[in-house]
Amino acid sequence: MSAADPRASRARGVIALLEQNCTVCMLCVRECPDWCIEIDSHTVTLPADETHRRPRTEAVLDRFAIDFGLCMYCGICVEVCPFDALHWSPVAEYAATSSAGLVHERDRLSSWEPTVPAPPALDLHAAVDDPGPRRATGRS
Amino acid sequence: MSTLASAVAAAVAGATMHEGFGPVTVDVPRERWRDGLAAAQTAGATFFDLLTAYDDAPAGLAVVVHLATPHLRDHLLVRTVVPDAIRELDTATGVYRGAAWHERETHEMFGIDFVGNARLDPLLLGADLGAAPLRKDFVLAARAARAWPGEKDPSDQGGRPRRRTVPPGVPTDWPEAGS
Repeated sequence: MSAADPRASRARGVIALLEQNCTVCMLCVRECPDWCIEIDSHTVTLPADETHRRPRTEAVLDRFAIDFGLCMYCGICVEVCPFDALHWSPVAEYAATSSAGLVHERDRLSSWEPTVPAPPALDLHAAVDDPGPRRATGRS
Repeated sequence: MSTLASAVAAAVAGATMHEGFGPVTVDVPRERWRDGLAAAQTAGATFFDLLTAYDDAPAGLAVVVHLATPHLRDHLLVRTVVPDAIRELDTATGVYRGAAWHERETHEMFGIDFVGNARLDPLLLGADLGAAPLRKDFVLAARAARAWPGEKDPSDQGGRPRRRTVPPGVPTDWPEAGS
């Protein structure tokens, strides 16, 4: 956003997805009052290695879609996400000419991630051991 | 305690007062709905703010009117319960003309007939809908036509899910998609 942009950085324009942080826990899907989030996934079995003594299964995201035609911008999904995979972006120029165009799939949702503003600075007298809002860069 | 509410409660037989978080609510019997409103107007509540209803199942539908004195020195809620089997209530328009629009909305959303109000035409819904959407027994089409996306269990390997999850806020007796 430019300096002349009148929108506050906290404005609720569109929801951005940080794919690496999503663990397919389904919390956002289940908490959404509008049923506007859809997730498809499958599980893969990872072999044992030096840090994991036994083979383990991990959910892999196949599809993550938000229907902004249904979304009412309550932000509950952003709040409940335990791994900070969802963020508000103030960008609002995503009008479409059909209702299908308002369904954003994972690539489109991920494309909003660079427009997410940095979290606000901590209060001057905030406890120093508080790490503040996390913007994890994902598992490597 | 509101003197306005006390005056109304004293003037209507069978009326009870509840303070709650305020304003004071005066519950009047359904048969004395009009008397209750007239008593409030006589007591000085000449400002009609709103009339609305809520589904107070299983007792019925509660109809509430918010009234105030001019300059907003005092205000009260007058409430009555319309049982499901009756769904009729005297109109408030004989006392407060401004109630006509509110009764029209309440008729449309809750299906209450206001006896004496001849203009209860629907405002938003088609006349052929034949249902009152704000009643609790009204099944939301959007919740019955589509499967809940949260039903999927990522850890489910094709077998029986460990625990059946149900969509929050959706009554369990509503039809499910595909049924």
